[in-house]
Amino acid sequence: MTALLEICDLAKSYRMPGKSGTKAAQLKAVAGVSLQVAPGETLGLVGESGCGKSTLGKLILGLTPADRGEVLYRGTDLARLSARQLRPYRRQLQMIFQDPFSSLNPRMTVGETLIEPLIIHRLCATSERQKRVADLLNQVGLESAAANRYPHEFSGGQRQRISIARALAVEPELIVADEPVSALDLSVQAQILNLLREIQVEHKLSYLFIAHDLAVVEHVSDRVAVMYLGKIVENATADDLYRRPQHPYTEALLAAIPQPDPNLARRPVPLKGDVPSPLNPPSGCSFHPRCPYASNLCQQQEPALLNLGDKRQAACHHSDKICTNRS
Amino acid sequence: MYAPLKKTHNGPLLQVRGLKSYFFTRAGLVKAVDDVSFEIAAGETLALVGESGCGKSITSLSILRLIPEPGRVVDGEILFDGRDLLRMPPTEIRRVRGNKISMIFQEPMTSLNPVLKIGEQIAEVLRLHRGMSNGEALAQAAELLMRVGIPAAENRLRDFPHQLSGGQRQRVMIAMALACDPQLLIADEPTTALDVTIQAQIMELLANLARDRQMATLLISHDLGVVAGNADRVAVMYAGKIVEYAAVKQLFSSPAHPYTRGLLTCIPRLGNKDPLQTIQGQPEGKSKSADGCAFLERCPNSCNSGGSKMPQLREINPGHFVRCWRA
Repeated sequence: MTALLEICDLAKSYRMPGKSGTKAAQLKAVAGVSLQVAPGETLGLVGESGCGKSTLGKLILGLTPADRGEVLYRGTDLARLSARQLRPYRRQLQMIFQDPFSSLNPRMTVGETLIEPLIIHRLCATSERQKRVADLLNQVGLESAAANRYPHEFSGGQRQRISIARALAVEPELIVADEPVSALDLSVQAQILNLLREIQVEHKLSYLFIAHDLAVVEHVSDRVAVMYLGKIVENATADDLYRRPQHPYTEALLAAIPQPDPNLARRPVPLKGDVPSPLNPPSGCSFHPRCPYASNLCQQQEPALLNLGDKRQAACHHSDKICTNRS
Repeated sequence: MYAPLKKTHNGPLLQVRGLKSYFFTRAGLVKAVDDVSFEIAAGETLALVGESGCGKSITSLSILRLIPEPGRVVDGEILFDGRDLLRMPPTEIRRVRGNKISMIFQEPMTSLNPVLKIGEQIAEVLRLHRGMSNGEALAQAAELLMRVGIPAAENRLRDFPHQLSGGQRQRVMIAMALACDPQLLIADEPTTALDVTIQAQIMELLANLARDRQMATLLISHDLGVVAGNADRVAVMYAGKIVEYAAVKQLFSSPAHPYTRGLLTCIPRLGNKDPLQTIQGQPEGKSKSADGCAFLERCPNSCNSGGSKMPQLREINPGHFVRCWRA
């Protein structure tokens, strides 16, 4: 497997202004993350709010500069490129955002929104543009006439279709989709998930699919990485991760998914407490205060992300104790 | 403190009959809630399910007479403990709000007062409805915070909302809602803004409280997993009307309305990667013909029998009501 995208030890921290008299604090949003995305693959990235998953998406696209680490796209380190050098790569990597209301320019028609990237990247002769826009709209299930309308005339699901068309306009190889369906109604969510899959097959796209809904992530992903407080704690194929989690946090996330079946007995709440503040992460393994398996070792020593064979990794001192016989 | 509630009246605690809440906007009349009836007994949880704009939140706001302008309850009655809330004088309804009926909202950041300490906010309810002194009310507030699982409650009384995490803010909202031992709790998407592990904790907390105190709950949610795990009965709303109403097991095992069936098949389920079934179209649900079935244009059944007329809610099995010509 040659990776389309490989990120190595990527890190980003933010300086938080201290309150009067105290020192400014470092918030480690992404604390040394390494991941790979193969061509045509969907890598799901899950984690709770504040775990750094959106920041990671922005680092990959160069929307915010990294403190350290590499973003290798087909072997070229994007983090080292100047803005000008980066421009051709911006075509290859596109993004779809969560909120289809704030991610489209309200003063541009849908057609103008779709033409803008074509002009910037000099992709399409002027005479061909209208036809290209109509094509793009049809691909995402909208009528060509939508080009003359403004974003506010569309519902949330339709706007997300427009965002997808905008990402497709430059024929990218990788799309970073940051919670692309979590703002949508259920019936529309299913339409968009199916659309994302159709265009993936058609355009041989890779996705980095960032989401907090584990059922959605399982549905779309080939591999899944789980993030907790800025670090990857587990990374495995979707099948392995959901059937045989090797990190207690993954296990707890899976147990907490509300199942749409009233006949399933309510499972006991597995996790106590809140996600700790990333400003002041716990010592040792940052999950240990909430972990049912925690030992003294976990308080003192941070577990490394270890290869556990079968192309899977987990960062836990007690991986061997995590339940191994889930259905 | 948890004495069993005194029942002053036989029959269900809350009976909503023929509720109509309309919005008189400049663009025309919007029938946000159109002839909705349901009941909730003490200790029971009724879930109100539907997509955005279906009228579920307006239904709950109507109960407390909190609909914003230009909306108005135009017809119906809401019997609470035998008395019609819609016809109570304003001074009396103020004694019900936050006292016998209380409400928790989706976004705890916008529903708590950002410039008041949380202790003050909880104590205010107790001073107002229970006539407690400031000191008594603060002591009681600390106890309530402890009961909803906030550690070191007494120290947190002096915190402002922004100093708490999302899960803790939601707990503060719940503590405030429970301050006066309400007979009915209206929970409008109580966990939607929270992470899954915290969501599981909050739902567990609400279930325990409902069981211990025979508190009735109106749970408004779009998450069918949350509904399946927590409701006794479910009302599915579409375009201002209830389209299906049944016991939770009945609804999930034999959904009879095509919209309910669509919702149940369009959610990704763990372990199933087939393309999702979708409901065609968008959920605005504005029917073209004013008195036809609102779901007609999205309905997979070809309906000759009367798409031009609105079907009535019929009982197809004991306790199972459906609004469809073909069910």
